[in-house]
Amino acid sequence: MSDVKVFKPRFNPAKPAFGLLVFLLYLFLLAPLLIVFVVSFASNQYLSFPPEGLTLKWYEMLPQESTFMEGMKVSLIVAVIVTLIVLALGVPAALALDRFDFKAKAAVQSFFLSPLLIPSIVLALGMVLLFGPLELNNTYAGIIIGHVAITIPFVIRTTLMSLATTDTSCEAAARILGAGSWTVFRRVTLPIIQPGVIAGGVIAFIVSFDEAVISLFVAESGLPTLPVQVLRYVENSADAAVAALSVILILISLAVVVVVERVMGLRKALR
Amino acid sequence: MTESKLSIVDLTKRYAAGLEPAVDRLNMEVEEGHLVALLGPSGCGKTTTLRMVAGLMDPTAGSIVVDGKEITHTPVNKRGMGMVFQSYALFPHMNVEQNVAFGLEMRQVPKAEQKARVAAALDMVQLGHLSKRQTKELSGGQQQRIALARALVVEPTLLLLDEPLSNLDAKLRETMRTEIRSIQQRTRATTLFVTHDQDEALDMADRIAVMNGGLIEQFGSPTEVYERPRTHFVANFIGQANFLTARVCTEAGRANLAGESYYKVDVEGLGQFGAIGTAGLSGSTHELVIRPHRLSVSLQPGAAQAPLAGTIERVSYTGDALSVAVRVGGQQLQAQMLTSSGDLPRVGDAAYLSWAPDDAYILPTPAVPERAAAA
Repeated sequence: MSDVKVFKPRFNPAKPAFGLLVFLLYLFLLAPLLIVFVVSFASNQYLSFPPEGLTLKWYEMLPQESTFMEGMKVSLIVAVIVTLIVLALGVPAALALDRFDFKAKAAVQSFFLSPLLIPSIVLALGMVLLFGPLELNNTYAGIIIGHVAITIPFVIRTTLMSLATTDTSCEAAARILGAGSWTVFRRVTLPIIQPGVIAGGVIAFIVSFDEAVISLFVAESGLPTLPVQVLRYVENSADAAVAALSVILILISLAVVVVVERVMGLRKALR
Repeated sequence: MTESKLSIVDLTKRYAAGLEPAVDRLNMEVEEGHLVALLGPSGCGKTTTLRMVAGLMDPTAGSIVVDGKEITHTPVNKRGMGMVFQSYALFPHMNVEQNVAFGLEMRQVPKAEQKARVAAALDMVQLGHLSKRQTKELSGGQQQRIALARALVVEPTLLLLDEPLSNLDAKLRETMRTEIRSIQQRTRATTLFVTHDQDEALDMADRIAVMNGGLIEQFGSPTEVYERPRTHFVANFIGQANFLTARVCTEAGRANLAGESYYKVDVEGLGQFGAIGTAGLSGSTHELVIRPHRLSVSLQPGAAQAPLAGTIERVSYTGDALSVAVRVGGQQLQAQMLTSSGDLPRVGDAAYLSWAPDDAYILPTPAVPERAAAA
């Protein structure tokens, strides 16, 4: 038995090299966030790195900074309404694109997805010019219309992805069993495509919440959103309050993602 | 005459103007409690027909009558039917019990009654113990049974089965065949069953509608379509068949109980033989259908009278049976023999074929030259 060769895995240098590569990639992606995180606790007078000491004063400053609070309010109102509208439009649009064959199908599909391809600065400029005569500049309606345009592609994409993997005979089965079209949608279709719908909604919310370019063009003077306020603040003063605000925003986004992941599995939704 | 459960009258479906109709003026009467198989190759219009009966598709013309009531344009959710899909189509977000209860819920059956009926339906398919399971956790066969329970629990006017067995593996398919048939017979649910599998149709159906190119080629009992095919297509599609083009000569004067006559037929290059067919075929050219297992093969000459002498060209061994291809004259005929433990025939051996007149059926439709050539 002694001459039986025991297989020993040889040391594979590719493994630690790969690990290092992954580490560097993450570092590259996360470094800006890490620096913002560190700077938000730094006692430096001006926004700079590395920190000279530690402090919580920037966080204490935030509630007193009324521009941030107002911007936060505007952004939240806009993001919530945009999410609702974009779901109400995007889900039926995706259903129609998936289920029906019509002449202009390809054209309609490209139309809905085109905002992803057009530079947002171009879109924003177009909107300012269009909204002028319509008196939509500096109104909630204006910002919301702009945000709906840029977020609807996400909802349509994620919903279409969910629809592509559903079995249409489920709907047929429900109809045969006596369900009317609304009941079929509510009891069968919607629950099946729910992951895609929720993923689309989450993405739409986050994109709208931190959208800066359109908000800046359409409503900078009258109805500044949080990103616009942050831009203005950085232009005028150079302290680390924006870093503290950024950390809060990161935590909010993270909270949304974690809650959705816990409740219904975002990873499944985004697949 | 007893009233049919389902009458299909001149039902036609054309997907687009100018295209050949997918279903072409189809007529069919289905008796209460019968299981009718719509059998045919893909694209023959069988699924289209089923979907029109279900209401999932609008017919271009014609009408569908159930229990004497025209339902051609009744919305699908008001037809009270039950359907089992090839993909099972169970609702993935509901458990077994909720799936089965769905149709009852739509009918606003009281909760307590729902519970009892769901339990009874699940017991019928022997899955009562799985009522709280998620459908994903079940095997294909179990999902199929749940789908069947879901369709039957509403006591549908018609049970529609769309290739329900084709996603199952071979062994399970046979078990489910027997089970579906026995449940159907117990519930006496009038059933339309779409399949492309002739064995399924022969085994399960009371009547078979053999479809081709949007038309019903033949509608009859399994033995009728197998033993007395009306067309070349039917004979060829159901079971295996040898086709011989023959000139029908004299009527032998005798008739069997079904009113069929015995004839002498003249097969070019092979000689004269006895055959059976409907009355009045003398004088024209028809095709003879002979099933391979009805041809008797012997390896010695002289056993049967006037045997056809030929040479074995191919032998295929399947354990209990042996298929041989025998060249006689210009034709190759397929024949079957039972195997024995002795010597097996080999390619090149001489073989002698014969058949009883009852086993050579003359197709009632006159032979079409290119069809005969294709055979």
